[in-house]
Amino acid sequence: MLTNTTEMKDLYYPLMSDIIKVEQLTATEKRFEIALPDNQVLNHKPGQFVEVSLFGFGEAPISISSSPTKTPAFDLTVRRTGKLTDKMHELAVGSKLGIRGPFGNGFDVDFMKGKDMLFIAGGIGLAPLKSLIDYTIDKRKDFGRIIIVYGTKHPSEILFSNEIEKWKNLKDVEFHMTVDRPDDNWKGNIGVITTLIPPLEINVENTIASIVGPPIMYKFVLMSLNSKRIPDENIYMSLERRMKCGVGKCGHCQINHSYVCQDGPVYHYPKAKELEEAV
Amino acid sequence: MPCYYDLMLYSHCGTKIVKQASNTMWGFLMSKEFNSKLTDLKRYFFNESDVRKFIDFLMTKAEVIAPQTKGEQSFAYNVVKNSSDVALEYPRTMQPLKKYFLPPVETLLTFKMSSNEFSEEVIEAKKQIFFGIHSYEMKGIHLLDYCLGKGKPESNYLKRRANALIIGISYKPDKYHFATSLGIDIEETEGFALFFEKVTEGYLVFVVTDEGAELIKDFSGGKPIDEQVNIEELPQQAKIKYHYNRLPQVFEHVYNSRVWDHFADKCVGCGTCNLLCPTCYCFDVRDEVGLNADDGKRQRFWDGCMLNSFAEVAGGENFRNKLAARMRHRLYRKFSYITKSSGELHCVGCGRCTRYCPADISIVEIINSLIEDYSAQQKKQAV
Amino acid sequence: MSAQAVKSKPKVAFFDFTSCEGCQLNKLNFENELLDILELVDIVEFREAMDDKADAYDIAFIEGSISTPTCIERIHDIRRRSKVLVALGQCAVTGGINAMKNSHPSEWVQETVYGKDKYLFPSIPAQPVSAIVKVDYEVRGCPMSAPEYLHVFKSLVLGRKPEPPDYAVCVECKLKENECVLEKGMFCLGPITRAGCDALCPSNGQYCTGCRGMVSNINEKGAVDMLKKHGFSTEEAIKRMKLFNTNEVDKQISWGRK
Repeated sequence: MLTNTTEMKDLYYPLMSDIIKVEQLTATEKRFEIALPDNQVLNHKPGQFVEVSLFGFGEAPISISSSPTKTPAFDLTVRRTGKLTDKMHELAVGSKLGIRGPFGNGFDVDFMKGKDMLFIAGGIGLAPLKSLIDYTIDKRKDFGRIIIVYGTKHPSEILFSNEIEKWKNLKDVEFHMTVDRPDDNWKGNIGVITTLIPPLEINVENTIASIVGPPIMYKFVLMSLNSKRIPDENIYMSLERRMKCGVGKCGHCQINHSYVCQDGPVYHYPKAKELEEAV
Repeated sequence: MPCYYDLMLYSHCGTKIVKQASNTMWGFLMSKEFNSKLTDLKRYFFNESDVRKFIDFLMTKAEVIAPQTKGEQSFAYNVVKNSSDVALEYPRTMQPLKKYFLPPVETLLTFKMSSNEFSEEVIEAKKQIFFGIHSYEMKGIHLLDYCLGKGKPESNYLKRRANALIIGISYKPDKYHFATSLGIDIEETEGFALFFEKVTEGYLVFVVTDEGAELIKDFSGGKPIDEQVNIEELPQQAKIKYHYNRLPQVFEHVYNSRVWDHFADKCVGCGTCNLLCPTCYCFDVRDEVGLNADDGKRQRFWDGCMLNSFAEVAGGENFRNKLAARMRHRLYRKFSYITKSSGELHCVGCGRCTRYCPADISIVEIINSLIEDYSAQQKKQAV
Repeated sequence: MSAQAVKSKPKVAFFDFTSCEGCQLNKLNFENELLDILELVDIVEFREAMDDKADAYDIAFIEGSISTPTCIERIHDIRRRSKVLVALGQCAVTGGINAMKNSHPSEWVQETVYGKDKYLFPSIPAQPVSAIVKVDYEVRGCPMSAPEYLHVFKSLVLGRKPEPPDYAVCVECKLKENECVLEKGMFCLGPITRAGCDALCPSNGQYCTGCRGMVSNINEKGAVDMLKKHGFSTEEAIKRMKLFNTNEVDKQISWGRK
């Protein structure tokens, strides 16, 4: 069991950390590689998040997009959507930002051991899911098949193209992708992500599906997994909500009785199903 | 009907002190009721001038905070400057006591943007005495103690709480109070150091804790009395139809009730109910920067789940954009969600949300409508 | 604009359209903050206080509504020359008081104001600036609220998105423990009006006139019913709401009217 060893003097004090690499992924998304002070290791689980803070711009929860197998630095993939993320996009290597965390519940990698892994990512959802994808690839022999299904609205929104090329070339990784609207150069699948699910040939009893995407996507993906007869117990999903404190106090992320920052963002589907507001 | 109605007949002589008949047939009726909470306590008699003198005495010990009039017909907790300003009889203050422990605006840290440095906000935790607090208010503080103390504790809140000495007082319920419907008696003394019970000639002062005993020992006024006393129970006017311990069960069955839409139709989403609730503690965090565009503070502000933007994420999606969903969430937080872990109802029956709602929405009416809905469901199933 | 841009001082301009210019004058009243503000920016155009002109602006503040054909040309021109455009005060944000005329036939309005010279003063329905060009940010209120202006101003200088409140004035009243003016028998739009003024009017014995516009996602029927409960007819409630919000009220669905 991985535990949180990041020490914080109080709940709300961030650890000032360095941006050591910045990579522009799309017009609106950048990947930042972050190093905690004194070579500290974040010690996160795939699927967990940190609260990123920039003084004057506030804090925002951002999922960790690298695997804990990659240390000591970790990756955050950030879309510009607001005050803090706009500012973050202006930052260069050498800039500082505050980190609190890791927070929340990650993917249950122990339960997933030995299973076939089906990853379903929509849009920016690939960022949090990549922490688990990388983890399974780094610990390849611990897992069965690795099937990645990825959909975006448009080819210009494709994240991690370098990694995707690598995944495509790996013999033991199956990669499927689609876009809603193609551009002139697009030669792949066209259509929403659920069109990729029915043709998959999988051993449903031994396959774990992990889903991350925009709120609207879950209902349809779940329906499609359901018609493939994947048992609920084999499904994990990560949910997005507004968050402020990250420590189960401020109330913003609450879905029924569950705090996403504590019980989530990753939920075992049977648990998420009990939450009427979840999907 | 709870047995204290019978007792009322016995103590029919109003709020006068009467000797309690021990070992009578009434004894067994008193098992849980109000007077058992006071029976074993040491007590004093204070007339009103003793009470004012006692407040003066408290003011020599520490800062004293008590209810005082505000405006034409409202009350607010404030630091006492003159003991004569303290309202001894008041229905409720507008803001609950939590404003002293979880302030509406609180600085979490201060920073400098240019150097990316921050300093910790060390709070001063001075001794404060809170005088004249009602039992439902005290219960509200106990519930906040649970919410802010569990998991990762809120140290600022806990520091302030540890430095608070709280003195209770009885109250005369108005049509908005329903605390006894939720099992919080007027004479519930848990959390108080001393408890002041209004009687015709003055106040009975019950010593609840050692700290309270210390205080009263040093005070020269008032006179100790030995008699067992009985106190008239004043019925609360607003009533919940079911016993409070059935409410979590009701809430298991009314999630999709039409009651939510019915009341949400009247609601304007102004957030008054959240802002005045003694057990609401949700907050927002924002950075404020000074005019030198460098120095700033990270602050938290009270927030409310009835406000439209509460569950809105940066991308624009609002996970509770309907008033009915927000109202349901608010009530489920009081009667179901937190109850699952704390085992307690997180509403204290103070009546503030109803008393101050500009659209006249009554929480008791909502709960009673939900009970009706639940009971109709049960009947249907039985058929 | 980053911290470096602060050093090179953003160029700021103020323009007025159809308005009383009260918002602009209000700015000159920040005696305590004015010098700090001037440290942060270069004010290149401000008719109320100076005559200089410039060609391009980092931040353009626009006061007043768009109510004549020439306003339209002028606002397009300013937009082209401005990196960030901020609507200042309620006339610019929603059309404000000016928009009251939109409820009447324009011929009648022009005749009432200009008499037989009405053809010399062409007029169109009073529109918010955002109806004509892209508005980046808003400072609401009539006159604009000073704390909100400072918040927006500081945010822009720091290069961050301003986040003015989108909750009701009631929130601010309750934090101040003000007695409810509806309970005192007064009319009040506080429950549906955007906060950000620190509940200025109700804190001073007045009622909220709704000068900062309405909160998002409002329950129109509930709002009218609430005012009815306090003794105001639907018609009166709507009439009073329209004082500052004609364009908003007319856009909303029936408001409980048949």
